[in-house]
Amino acid sequence: MTTLLQVMGLSKSFGAVNAVNGIHFSITEGHCAALLGPNGAGKTTTIRMIAGLLRQTAGQLIFEGKEPGGKHRELIGYLPQTPSFYNWMTGLEFVVYAGRLSGLSSAAARKNALALVERVGLAGAAKRRIGSYSGGMKQRLGLAQALTHQPKLLILDEPVSALDPLGRREVLELLHELKQETTILFSTHVLHDAEELCDDVIIMRSGQVALQGPLEEIRRKHRKLTMELQIENDAASREWLSSYIHNVQQEIDSSNLSCLFEAAEQHQVGARFTVKDSDAARRHLVEALARHQVKVTKLELGHSSLEDLFMEVVST
Amino acid sequence: MNDSAKTLNVHGRFEGRATTGWVRYVVMVQKEVLELARSYKLLWVPLVFILLGMMQPVSTYYMPVILERAGSLPEGTVIDIPMPQGAEVLAQTLQQFGTLGVLVLVLAFMGTVSGERMSGVAAIIMVKPISPLAYIGSKWTAMLLLTWGSLTAGYLGSWYYTGLLIGEVPLIDVCRSLFVYGLWLSMVMVIALLLSTWLRSPAAAAFATFGGALVLTLLAHLFPAFLGWTPGSLSGYAYQLAASSMEDSKMLGYAVASTLVGAGVCISLSAALLSKSSTDE
Ligand SMILES: Nc1ncnc2c1ncn2[C@@H]1O[C@H](COP(=O)(O)OP(=O)(O)O)[C@@H](O)[C@H]1O
Ligand SMILES: [Mg+2]
Repeated sequence: MTTLLQVMGLSKSFGAVNAVNGIHFSITEGHCAALLGPNGAGKTTTIRMIAGLLRQTAGQLIFEGKEPGGKHRELIGYLPQTPSFYNWMTGLEFVVYAGRLSGLSSAAARKNALALVERVGLAGAAKRRIGSYSGGMKQRLGLAQALTHQPKLLILDEPVSALDPLGRREVLELLHELKQETTILFSTHVLHDAEELCDDVIIMRSGQVALQGPLEEIRRKHRKLTMELQIENDAASREWLSSYIHNVQQEIDSSNLSCLFEAAEQHQVGARFTVKDSDAARRHLVEALARHQVKVTKLELGHSSLEDLFMEVVST
Repeated sequence: MNDSAKTLNVHGRFEGRATTGWVRYVVMVQKEVLELARSYKLLWVPLVFILLGMMQPVSTYYMPVILERAGSLPEGTVIDIPMPQGAEVLAQTLQQFGTLGVLVLVLAFMGTVSGERMSGVAAIIMVKPISPLAYIGSKWTAMLLLTWGSLTAGYLGSWYYTGLLIGEVPLIDVCRSLFVYGLWLSMVMVIALLLSTWLRSPAAAAFATFGGALVLTLLAHLFPAFLGWTPGSLSGYAYQLAASSMEDSKMLGYAVASTLVGAGVCISLSAALLSKSSTDE
């Protein structure tokens, strides 16, 4: 497996704002990588630097082992976060134009464009002015124009974030297909999209990489045992829960090594515990429930989801 | 889906036959011209010039009649305005082009670069393997096509009606003055292009272009001895050429040369500005 792109210590500051702050990651050829993070994490800034639209303040980009020269733009297909086109052109004209700028001959660009608009599902609207396109159609047109020269690396900035559920579905399916043919780097603030599509994730938070690696590995490594408790909404039970959680919290805060719990959070009529040893913790909890005759409605053991991890990583 | 994917694989690859930078520049010029056509600028800008060109001799010819009809003169006034020479009318036509004509041209092109950058389409275009110089060059080429085309049409129209109504002017004088005046307009256009690359606001770019052109002309006319070689003096030379009363053809040569150099500098500056600012914000 070869490394297509290596990002080393990349930084960008706008005046006093450090939008991206010394990030490292690499993208393997043939993989699909998601740049995941909340709004303002620095995803767009990172992507614009990779696309060559923004000069970094510090750091390096290495494409196929070489520093970017004039050539590397031929490797890249790029779709901006909110793509704009020439509204006076038709969709087909724009894709032909994009192909010609990428170096295709007139005949090849036309043939290619016809295949691409068909592929992204714009065949019916290809001869209409772009000015009349909906957001989803523009997103798909943006994909078509990024694919004209069969880029080795397809860079997409939030390709589905602005779409309605249907449009989102269509674009995700398209990306699923494209994944078989080329390397993709796409940004999103929705974990679910990353999970659905990607092999690797790079989680960003305030300009830094908080966590990165193959999705499966992250899922495995950071999976935690959880206990979900629900009780009836009577005063005694509620009171007991508050004091139980208070005790657990104190033990966690005192960093007691023999403590069975890692975290505890209370909902209205229940709580969720992250535990180290599920058997011992379950025994501890069940005994306490029995002793105080708490009216339990549900006790469930499970694993923390990637969502929990994501929330934890981006909010701490 | 599978079929189209296959077609793409067959036809999408470069196969080592990527077109040259020159071809891509020509493609961009074609796009600019198509945009001018779709926005009807290709129609109404020449129309304005033709109208301005025809109006000058026609209104000069009918001026006495118009004044008479206006009726504000006391009964019995004899109107006796000496009919000007044909060459004078042509020079006046050029002056019209220098004000209203320039206004229309600058308005047509004031957002040519900034508009594409503000809308965001420039981001899609500039990641393609094209050079900033080719991008700027294609813009300027389109500007020149429209400028020279409109100027030629309007000026020849003026020449025709002047010959018909007022007096013949030798075609060679017309061509000489047309060439020199076209150079001046090209200079104004390259300034507009530079400012459209530099400033975000199209209105600011338009105002700055008018200001720049005015300053260039004024300085050259105030200090002809010192600044006769600058682009700003071209319009003055064009008026003289129309009247075939050119005194100093050596200075004209210098002015033409300095304009060509100035245009080259402005183009390079625009390209540098584009590649710098499009990667810095
Ligand atoms: N051109 C700019 N000038 C100043 N600050 C900017 C600029 N672009 C982005 N930023 C700041 O950089 C940070 C990261 O922005 P961005 O990369 O757009 O985040 P994301 O795409 O992850 O939502 C934000 O705090 C944003 O305000
Ligand atoms: Mg963004």
